[in-house]
Amino acid sequence: MSNFKYPIVKAFVAELIRIFRDPGVTVIFVVATLAYPLIYKALYWNEQITNVPVAVVDLSNSPQSREFLHRWNAAPDIRLTHTCTSMAEAEMLLRNQKVHGIIYFPRDFAKQLADPLGKAHISLYCDMSSFLYMKAIYLSCNNVMLESMRNIQIDRYEQMGIGPEMAWALVQEAPYTETALFTPTGGYGSFLIPAVLMLILHQTLFFGICMLGGTIREENEEKYTFSTLIGRAGACFVIYYGLATILLCALPRLFDIPHIGSFWDIQLLIVPYLLAIIFFALCVSVFIRNRESGLVILISSSLIFMFMAGISWPKEMIPDAWWYIACCIPYTHGAHAFIHINSMGASLATTGTEYIALWILTGVYFAVACGLFYIRKRKLTTEN
Amino acid sequence: MFARPLYIFASVGVMLLSTFFFLTLMRGGTAENMPVSVVDLDQTSISRRLIHEMQATPSVDIQLITNSYPEARLAMQQGKIYGIFVIPEGFYDDLVTLKRPQLDFYVTNAYTVGGNTAYKQMLTMANLVSGAFQREVLRKKGLTDDVIMHRIQPLAIEGHMVANPWGNYSVYLVSTILPGILGLICLMLTIFAIGFELKTRTSHAWLRVADGNYTVAMIGKLIPYTLIYIVLGVGCHLILYRFAGFPVYGSTSRLMFGLLLFIFAMEALGITLIGLLPTLRDALSIGALYSMLGFSLSGFTYPQMAMLAPVKAISYMEPLRHYYLIYVNEALMAAPVENSIPHMLALTVFMVASLCVAPRLHRALVYWNYPLK
Repeated sequence: MSNFKYPIVKAFVAELIRIFRDPGVTVIFVVATLAYPLIYKALYWNEQITNVPVAVVDLSNSPQSREFLHRWNAAPDIRLTHTCTSMAEAEMLLRNQKVHGIIYFPRDFAKQLADPLGKAHISLYCDMSSFLYMKAIYLSCNNVMLESMRNIQIDRYEQMGIGPEMAWALVQEAPYTETALFTPTGGYGSFLIPAVLMLILHQTLFFGICMLGGTIREENEEKYTFSTLIGRAGACFVIYYGLATILLCALPRLFDIPHIGSFWDIQLLIVPYLLAIIFFALCVSVFIRNRESGLVILISSSLIFMFMAGISWPKEMIPDAWWYIACCIPYTHGAHAFIHINSMGASLATTGTEYIALWILTGVYFAVACGLFYIRKRKLTTEN
Repeated sequence: MFARPLYIFASVGVMLLSTFFFLTLMRGGTAENMPVSVVDLDQTSISRRLIHEMQATPSVDIQLITNSYPEARLAMQQGKIYGIFVIPEGFYDDLVTLKRPQLDFYVTNAYTVGGNTAYKQMLTMANLVSGAFQREVLRKKGLTDDVIMHRIQPLAIEGHMVANPWGNYSVYLVSTILPGILGLICLMLTIFAIGFELKTRTSHAWLRVADGNYTVAMIGKLIPYTLIYIVLGVGCHLILYRFAGFPVYGSTSRLMFGLLLFIFAMEALGITLIGLLPTLRDALSIGALYSMLGFSLSGFTYPQMAMLAPVKAISYMEPLRHYYLIYVNEALMAAPVENSIPHMLALTVFMVASLCVAPRLHRALVYWNYPLK
């Protein structure tokens, strides 16, 4: 056989053996990669937050306010759990986290509604310890308010002598429909899990390669030839291709989260995503002296990568400097591309910007890794 | 410890970087100018006025005005916009002839914050259209603007965001995430400091310095680390609540006390883990898993009340959950101290638990009876 092929195959097999002989790396590569998604699915099992407890302070004590509360209580988001006679009492419940919101009807609520020129107010207090409480309380209350308001408006127009048909037309002259595209349930898990799956692939692969790099250095088995670079990358790629297919193609179906993307598009996305991570990690691994070092940095980087990528926090709101750094991380492009394809049914061509960016990162990190391997090799030869 | 710069770099560097990162990431902490698209099939003066008014609102930014819905949908699939507002053909004509033309709007839930912000704004706009129309009709009937306003808006909700009146995302995120990262550092470095002695078989020399006394050796080793953690904890507290101006409505000192307890609890958890698994890399892997889950289990993003019962139970095994509850109680709710005490006690339990592994860890340090690598 030719001399060229042989060392690559040798390095490839050696790396596979090293991975599976090293329980630490096997755990990270295989067990963690498969266990984490299950844990996160269990965590975000209930997609929606329902029955947020709310206290009522109804000083008006009128049929109108009761009607309002009755309608609101029918919404799945909230549950009216406590009726208080004063704001102080309700505030105490909120402070003690027995409720996460307070609705307050002032004494003149019914009077203002009855007065054709009056304007009635409802006060709503939301617990801000989690943003999802506010979303559940505020949006559901707003919907009831809009509905009640239309009824009041119609009553008032009728009092003015405007006929019911005309009144209806006036009140909602431009009706509207609202549609949540792609992910109709709009649950928290549906939104977060795709991003988390990509992050798990990114961080376990990144961390595993750094750990392998550290081991190789600890055991003085360093070889920095072109063949070892390709061989090592190839071994990780083969293992992760299978894992990525399970995580990105099978799990969304099993987990019943959105999966409207094309199977083949996701397969095509996996290739540059994994390659970019592998070469990125190989670049970093050259600097790793032993297997545990940098562990803390790598772990805290998970949170930073996640937020920097502009998934939880919109990318438009991220300062440019951070965004440029984020663009150098394979996760940023990979996560957006996967969300576009998997959760919004985009084709690979539609998400072309991210896809091309992944290939560019693959190329750049490959070149940098070659350079670093070469420098390291020369340093080792001069040392010997 | 100073022989290995990793320790210092890891603890101080990561904490500084994270603090800087999370404080500069959010740009004021409220989502503004979220890109949306308007599909204007009407193309009349009224539809253009609508677009103009929508553009004037701070929460959305119209990135794309088009007459093709597929084009807007494609832009959404590319992640360029979070919402689509469709003004139908013949909107103006139908409006003036009272035919009730229908507006449609579409949002994406694949990006929660962007989608929500766009949704709220489009909902407001859709309601304003009817309001504006009523105003025009009533004006023609000769009513004054003041009277008209009460007709159009007879009922209003005054929203109050308790303890975070600005709706600042940064306040609620950073207040838990930064202590969480600090706790993670404490946990991992404690495991590392002890486990490294096992890995490099230097634990005998270490115990000899303390005359073979496990307690003295342990305290001696952890004191310098603990001092660094305390400095980082106090620094983090000062930066958040003194310089960044994050609100504390209750007792600052109790919040600080909670943070210190949390740091000690994480350190103790580190001892427990390396005691149970006296092999550096195993303990580190488990420690990483344990502390990363703390961020989700603490319930500051996805509330604990929505979790499944077994998950809820597990969440109390995370020190971060207890710190978060102390934070909510002291900083946001200014509630009586009785609410914080159970969680302070819970954090103390983690410290006591670390004493239980002492015999096992001591044996491991002396006999190296576990795989060292």
